Amino acid sequence: MTERIVVVGFGPVAARLVDELLPAVRSGLAHLTVIGEEAEAAYNRVLVADLGVGRTTASALALSDAAALIAEGVDVRLGVRVRRVDRARQQLVLSDGTAPGYDRLVFATGSRPVIPNLTGLNPDPAAPVLPAGVTALRDLRDASVLQAAVAGGKRVVVLGGGVLGLETALAAAEEGATVTVVHNGPHPLGRNIDRGGGAVLAASLRNCGVRVAGNARSTGVEHNAPDGGFSALLLDDGSAIDGDLLVLSCGVRPRTELAEGCGLSTAAGILVDHKLRAHHEPHIFAIGDCAEVRCPDPDCLECRTARGPSGLVGPGWRQAEWLAEYLSLLAAGSPEAELLPALPAELPGVIVLKARGMNMAVAGDVSADPWDEEVLSAGAADGRPRLQIAQWADPEHGRYVKMTTRAGVLEGLVSVGMPRSAAELVQLFERGAELPADRSLLLRLDGPDQAAASGAADPERTVCRCAGVSGTAIASAVSGGCGSVAEVSGATRAGTGCGGCHDDIKGIIETHFQGAVA
Amino acid sequence: MTNGAATHCPYCALQCAMTLSTPAGLTPASQPGSGPVPEQPAAALADAPLLEVSGRDFPTNRGGLCRKGWTSASLLNHPGRVTEPLLKGADGVHRPIGWDEALDRITGAVKATRARYGADAVGVFGGGGLTNEKAYQLGKFARLALGTSRIDYNGRFCMSSAAAAGMRAFGLDRGLPFPLADLDSASAILMLGSNVAETMPPFVQHLQGARDAGGLMVVDPRRSATAAFTSDGGGLHLQPLPGTDLALLLGLAHVVIHEGLADAGYIAARTAGYDALVRSVASYWPERVQSLTGVPAALIRDTARRLADGSRRGGSYILTGRGVEQHVDGTDTATAAINLALLLGLPGAARSGYGTLTGQGNGQGGREHGQKADQLPGYRKITDPAARAHMAAVWGVPEALIPGPGLPAVQLLKSLGQPDGVRCLFVHGANVAVSAPDANAVIAGLRSLDFLVVCDFFLSETAAEADLILPVTQWAEEEGTLTNLEGRVLRRRRALAPPPGVRSELWIMTRLAEALEAPSTFSEDPETVFEELRLASQGGLADYSGIDYAMLDRGEAAYWPYPAGSTGTPRLFLDSFAHADGRAVFTPVTPRRRASSSASGTASAAAHRAGAGRVGADGAGTAMTLVTGRLMEHYQSGAQTRRVAALAAAQPEARLQIHPAAAAAQGIADGDVVSISNGRGEVSCRAELSTDIRPETVFLPFHFPELESANRLTEAATDPISGMPEFKFSQVWVKPGAATLRADELQKEGAS
Repeated sequence: MTERIVVVGFGPVAARLVDELLPAVRSGLAHLTVIGEEAEAAYNRVLVADLGVGRTTASALALSDAAALIAEGVDVRLGVRVRRVDRARQQLVLSDGTAPGYDRLVFATGSRPVIPNLTGLNPDPAAPVLPAGVTALRDLRDASVLQAAVAGGKRVVVLGGGVLGLETALAAAEEGATVTVVHNGPHPLGRNIDRGGGAVLAASLRNCGVRVAGNARSTGVEHNAPDGGFSALLLDDGSAIDGDLLVLSCGVRPRTELAEGCGLSTAAGILVDHKLRAHHEPHIFAIGDCAEVRCPDPDCLECRTARGPSGLVGPGWRQAEWLAEYLSLLAAGSPEAELLPALPAELPGVIVLKARGMNMAVAGDVSADPWDEEVLSAGAADGRPRLQIAQWADPEHGRYVKMTTRAGVLEGLVSVGMPRSAAELVQLFERGAELPADRSLLLRLDGPDQAAASGAADPERTVCRCAGVSGTAIASAVSGGCGSVAEVSGATRAGTGCGGCHDDIKGIIETHFQGAVA
Repeated sequence: MTNGAATHCPYCALQCAMTLSTPAGLTPASQPGSGPVPEQPAAALADAPLLEVSGRDFPTNRGGLCRKGWTSASLLNHPGRVTEPLLKGADGVHRPIGWDEALDRITGAVKATRARYGADAVGVFGGGGLTNEKAYQLGKFARLALGTSRIDYNGRFCMSSAAAAGMRAFGLDRGLPFPLADLDSASAILMLGSNVAETMPPFVQHLQGARDAGGLMVVDPRRSATAAFTSDGGGLHLQPLPGTDLALLLGLAHVVIHEGLADAGYIAARTAGYDALVRSVASYWPERVQSLTGVPAALIRDTARRLADGSRRGGSYILTGRGVEQHVDGTDTATAAINLALLLGLPGAARSGYGTLTGQGNGQGGREHGQKADQLPGYRKITDPAARAHMAAVWGVPEALIPGPGLPAVQLLKSLGQPDGVRCLFVHGANVAVSAPDANAVIAGLRSLDFLVVCDFFLSETAAEADLILPVTQWAEEEGTLTNLEGRVLRRRRALAPPPGVRSELWIMTRLAEALEAPSTFSEDPETVFEELRLASQGGLADYSGIDYAMLDRGEAAYWPYPAGSTGTPRLFLDSFAHADGRAVFTPVTPRRRASSSASGTASAAAHRAGAGRVGADGAGTAMTLVTGRLMEHYQSGAQTRRVAALAAAQPEARLQIHPAAAAAQGIADGDVVSISNGRGEVSCRAELSTDIRPETVFLPFHFPELESANRLTEAATDPISGMPEFKFSQVWVKPGAATLRADELQKEGAS
């Protein structure tokens, strides 16, 4: 029998789910319907800022092709909203008047931007209508608004010091716009980064041409542009930051109202168990930004410390892949479905700043400092070791690294201005691998000495690798009368393979004859 | 010195040109041929090499040879050489017998096996080192004389993933679709998973131009000798985590598309499938790829830009090797490299391209003429009715007599001794007991056979398991052709008569075919076999019909396809690709999630990785990732090079390359004995501390047997498309080993 699977939402996470379900669709095990509110099939929202500064094209952002999916037998409905879910009848009521039924329903409704409560902005978060010159930079239309501003060399004000805001600001500044980031708190990325890292980060942003207005509390928006659009962001100290475009980057909120409307449990997101099933509803699942993994078992240790939705796409994609395997097994009626191990809990999200001019990575809890005795020993009980902090700060040169470890394994990291260290630390964090006891090894990856060849001083070293001839052997051939590379080659076979050592052989010959003269 | 034989090196696919000359006092073979040989003077078995080796000028090696080539002649009169058929007695000892008895025993074993279990219970395992003539006749022998579909070869371990990727993208697989010397003028070369500085040193000359332009980019988890060429302004070294090459390539493609570096005109005119490719890489932006691979995002962008820039100057090339291909997603990884090349408009351009570096001496020709389970000569599909009809006509047999597709190498080896599996096996030019993945299981399979025949010139680890060992000629004792890594057909020439008692494999097949009353014809004369190969390949993808010995002897450069009446094809795809519409095909590929529901209980890679690097509480050691590879001094399983005194002295034993930080965590010092183990086996060898390797990765060369055999640890998991095993990604536990290695195990290296 063919199982009807309906996916609500057609963003990047839904796209991955649909792709992974295609084998089940082809084999006739599943009939798949995907419903998207936007007119386009899924595209890579992560790159909307890049599109907004003209660094890429809309066509390059595409993740799915509706026509190709339809050809595969997928029922693709674009530009259609789900009005409500009728769980009793296992069907959906859509804005186009149809009511498709389902055997399995997947919420992949994602999130929507948080619209701050400012004078001059529509406060209704569920149906925001933003005034001219204000954008939340979420979809392709928003990107075109930003693109016009950047292309025109306009002044862009970014409200919010989160990672998306910083990426937008950096990209726009690099492409020629005048950009100011307005954030509250002493430094940007306040929720993720420690004080030292934040200070170096803010300095690096300024170096990249981004103005940073910290400790700012915004109160309103002024619309005095000639077209009645945005002209300035008003702050609570009475000052104003002038600009032509305001980009709101104040975080996102899971879209849960459909799920709430049909009586599913929600907290920050739609509550699901370790198999991504809605609580007490094995026919309904949620993945991605809209989902919050927190099982109904009050004794589940994992869920007691679980965080809400991360807002990052990586975990959503892993959920999509896992759920596709699970749904495929269910559709096949395979007994393996219930044996499928649950998706492992996500690590705290890793944030790697997408930017050309600077480098920053941060992950996990990095609040503790090396001398915070109380904090460091707080979790150390029952043989659990205490936290350890290793730190390197060189604000003058825009470099900062912090490694927070327990038993040598990273629980948090900050790296600013050290690309190779950042790449390595993120790896170590994600694999839960033990750091070398000498933590400074990880700081030296970005040093210029790393690429240098080993010393040429040792006469015993192999000069010609191809023929396996040592410097000593060549020197003795030279002493024996060989005065050219060809003669050395004839006597020792050095230099007869790749020829890469000819300069070294010449050097040995020259050294010999210099010695003879002296 | 007298005039010598102009031939090519016995080892790798670079096939360096060499001259073999006879020192005064010995006479060279009076005439070419492989028939019963004249008596050889007893003095020939003295210690001195029978032949002198000198480099010969040729476009590929320009007179250069590596140490393996220089010392190759010492094996001709090595005291350990097998010079008579050896039969294993009930006591397990091999004793000489005559050829007549040897052939009778084989015939009897084949007939008995066929009668009891059917023709598919007889199997053949070939090698990528066999000449074109041997490879061709071996395929024919298996299918017509033995009547079995069960033939495959060790090239499945090397070339099958790149071959499958090339076929689906271009419609044709020739390792380098351009002459090697074309690399000389390139501005940018991206080398993925290939360490030519160790594996084929004379190749390195062709990288000099790119190094001078700062455009050599090497992808390798180790700072290999090749990767070291990128220092001092030579280019870039990208050091991804093992098993993440595919993600890295998708990241490079992402940058090319999103930064507008793609060659839009080329894509529109010469390719198909671009839109789907764009969608498939949209989610691989550099910072995400950095998180997946450990390669900094800026380095990914820089690499993509240099490749694009090079393609507009002296040309850009992308070359792949076993490091990225020997994975369960090897075909997809090679495909991703091809996709990147296609985006930049490299394949089929006059001064750019994509290629894969074939490894074994005749790894190219050996995969074209019928040794593969799914192929007939001329790179024809065995399931294609037209191909079958063509071969039936050439062979003069009814088409129904040609068996269907058999089993690829790993499955073939897994079937040894199993119900419905192979019970009687012929091995030619392969040492599967060392070179195949999960070697312990392979050895158990060999021991479970009813009858094992191995053709070799030494008592290799595989030959040691054989019921019957047949001594065969070495390269300097035979005529034939090989096809090098650029698809150029080369002549191998005889410089010396083989020892009495040694026969060529063509002779053996011919005698056995007679005894088995096989249809069609078999010949012991290489040129006769080649003439038949020409007809067999005619009209196929790898068409040799316009090539003959005379033109090769005149020194003409013969690149296939070389249909009769043409002048060959040094550079492929200039006008069109080999698909019907002439276009190259983008196949979207993405890393597959490793199935977590596998009934075999193998944990997912994610779970492996989550545990990697942690020190086991139970003293199991540190969980690390093992990659395997090669040393300059040794070739393949080392059956030959471990017997060359100079090479064995330079690299007498396997050493585990490990980062000092990882070693320190276990208290391992340089030179300490370490144990490397997993569920499949254990290796014990000395540690070599080096910062050239990533801290979570260890490296073992696979040239060594017994306790040092790296393939005891590798998994026989295979690529679903090509059947290529995963040699380059195994989870192992590393810990300090016993204080001393068992001396008897180590001493086996130089002996025998």
